[in-house]
Amino acid sequence: MLKPEKMTRVVVVGTSDALDQTIENLHKLNLLHIIDYDEEEAGFKIGKPGSMASKFSEHLVTLRSIENQLGSEEEAGFDKKISAKELPSQIESTLSELEEEVLKQHNLMRSIETELKQKQDIEDTIKPLASLPLSLEDYTGYQSIKVFVGFIDSNIEDAIKAETSQYELYTGEIEGKKTIAVAVVKEKEDEINKILQNDSTYVEIRPPELTGNPQAALEEMAAAKAELTEKLTNAESELVRLKQEYAEFMLASEEYLTIETQKSEAPLRFATSDHAFVVDGWVPINKYDDFEKTIEGGAGNVYASKLEDEEVKDAPISLDNPKAVKPFELLVDTFATPKYKEIDPSLILFITFPLFYGFMLGDTGYGVLLIFLSWTIMSKVKSGGLHELAIILLYSAFSTIIFGIIYGEFFGAPLFNMVHHGAVETGILGIYGPHIGALQLPVHRFASVELLLVLVFGIGIIHVTLGLLLGIRNVAIEHGFKHAVTEKLCWLMILFGGIMAIVTAMPAILGGGVLNTHDPVFASGIVFGIIGIILLVKGEGVIAIMEIPTLLSNIFSYARLLAIGLSSAGIALAVNTICRDVLFSQGGVFIVIGILVLIFGHTINLLLGIIGPGLHSLRLQYVEFFTKFYEGGGTKYDPFGFIRKYTEE
Amino acid sequence: MVEAEAMGLIALGAGLAVGLTGLGAGIGEQSIGAAAIGAMAEDPKFFGKGLLMTVIPESIVIFGLVVALILLFVF
Repeated sequence: MLKPEKMTRVVVVGTSDALDQTIENLHKLNLLHIIDYDEEEAGFKIGKPGSMASKFSEHLVTLRSIENQLGSEEEAGFDKKISAKELPSQIESTLSELEEEVLKQHNLMRSIETELKQKQDIEDTIKPLASLPLSLEDYTGYQSIKVFVGFIDSNIEDAIKAETSQYELYTGEIEGKKTIAVAVVKEKEDEINKILQNDSTYVEIRPPELTGNPQAALEEMAAAKAELTEKLTNAESELVRLKQEYAEFMLASEEYLTIETQKSEAPLRFATSDHAFVVDGWVPINKYDDFEKTIEGGAGNVYASKLEDEEVKDAPISLDNPKAVKPFELLVDTFATPKYKEIDPSLILFITFPLFYGFMLGDTGYGVLLIFLSWTIMSKVKSGGLHELAIILLYSAFSTIIFGIIYGEFFGAPLFNMVHHGAVETGILGIYGPHIGALQLPVHRFASVELLLVLVFGIGIIHVTLGLLLGIRNVAIEHGFKHAVTEKLCWLMILFGGIMAIVTAMPAILGGGVLNTHDPVFASGIVFGIIGIILLVKGEGVIAIMEIPTLLSNIFSYARLLAIGLSSAGIALAVNTICRDVLFSQGGVFIVIGILVLIFGHTINLLLGIIGPGLHSLRLQYVEFFTKFYEGGGTKYDPFGFIRKYTEE
Repeated sequence: MVEAEAMGLIALGAGLAVGLTGLGAGIGEQSIGAAAIGAMAEDPKFFGKGLLMTVIPESIVIFGLVVALILLFVF
């Protein structure tokens, strides 16, 4: 919690004959984060990959190309795990067979598609010819006659007649376009061609070298096309069948091959000499004993040892949080992986993220819907980022309900009775809100803007202060206390000095009164702030003064907690008012319209309510909070190993 | 009458405070956002920095918002 898991630097040394067994053990343990060897030491070279490495990666490439062609996607997993011992022989035989089969079907499909395209082209050219009273063989194959065919809009018979009397002209019409066929004697070919080309509406058709009635040819083409389409469908369903039949095999062998490739390529990350090898890496400190026992007991001359005094600055990061907090690691990782000595803020996000979210959305009705929504997502998606986001949404939904009770809102309508302009407005529950301490529920958001505004600035000050305190801790650990004072503590002093000065001066400024500069709080605030600024300039130079206003905007930024909530409550109220006062009161069909408006309006508002508060709550964490202490830039802990899903040893 | 006129002017002022600052922030954020997304496309590690840079102009809207809230509810 709050700190990444403790790591220890480990070196594993052994003789070459124990290499394979050691790799096997390391892989099975899935604990060692290997540091790649980069040939710095004299006498040690990067190891050579195992003899099977190229074979495995070749198979893997083949398999992935097949998967690509079949469009395989990862399935939720199947019940029976395949034994990794039987797989190698299966892969040898089945993989090439499957590749051949898939390739065959693919080639078949390509050729069918090409043929289909050709038939389609011919059909396109014959279609206009079917409107003319000629057979297909009538268009070509003459010695003394030339036939022009095409689409044309204007009448050119007169122009042709003027040129020659030895012509025959046929016209037709198809799909609203006029077609024409002109047969002329060969001597006049050029002149007629010129007439046609000069007509802007003329589009030439090149008749195919076919015989017979165009209508019959068209039917023939259609039949051929239907046959080809059926063949294509068959080939496609054959591919689907292959995909289904081999799905398990493909998933299992991909996993197997990935694991084997990892193992056989592992020596590339080791330092080796002629007779020995050295592996350098990190192991979580509390698992080291197990690690040492397995590695040293598993194969002949192999020894593991801790390097206690090694600098832990570069240790890989494995975030270490209770199960409930785990989902929030996603939000931390999205921003940046923490450094080894930094605070891991997941736990703080666990508290503040849902708190801010609920503060903004704050509606019992939406809260209940969000619980259902997140629960649905969680049961549909069992793992991965979306599942974790759903858990975060679930926490936020509970917080939304609690704030909904405080604000007394149910889909924008009042939950409790309220006295409004002297009249009592009956709430959904029909009772007055309870007292909790000095607080009378509900705290209606529209009626208490002033109070809430002060409250959100208070929240902002607390949140930023917490960030700066964590910042002091981080800097003090990494660079010493002196740096912490000039980098972080000075900001805290400026912040509180500023607050003291502003709070005491505010009544005078707003009321137009005279500012009492002798007020001890005001004066000490100013002094405090000035000391802070001096320290800041000392630590980060004069230019850092430019940064001071950001402190103010950071605090003001928390006004969004109120603003987002007001807009969401405002939309809900508007939808309710339109339905109740405008539509429902008219009766009849308007009641149906009213219900539709109600559903539509609240759905939109809920969608905005998921996105808006989610993003803004996150932004307050990332921008206002994280910048005060969080640098990130750590390497993620990525142990050498694999979690088997489809195969077993 | 004078009261209503004053209320109207306050509402106008509040609207201008949010609207104009919103425009300003939008203009500011557009190029930063585009650049940040470009950087993120090359290296997703830029997400944190990119987000920070993108929302810098946004503080001006927050100032506008605070001014509007104070105008509407405090005055």
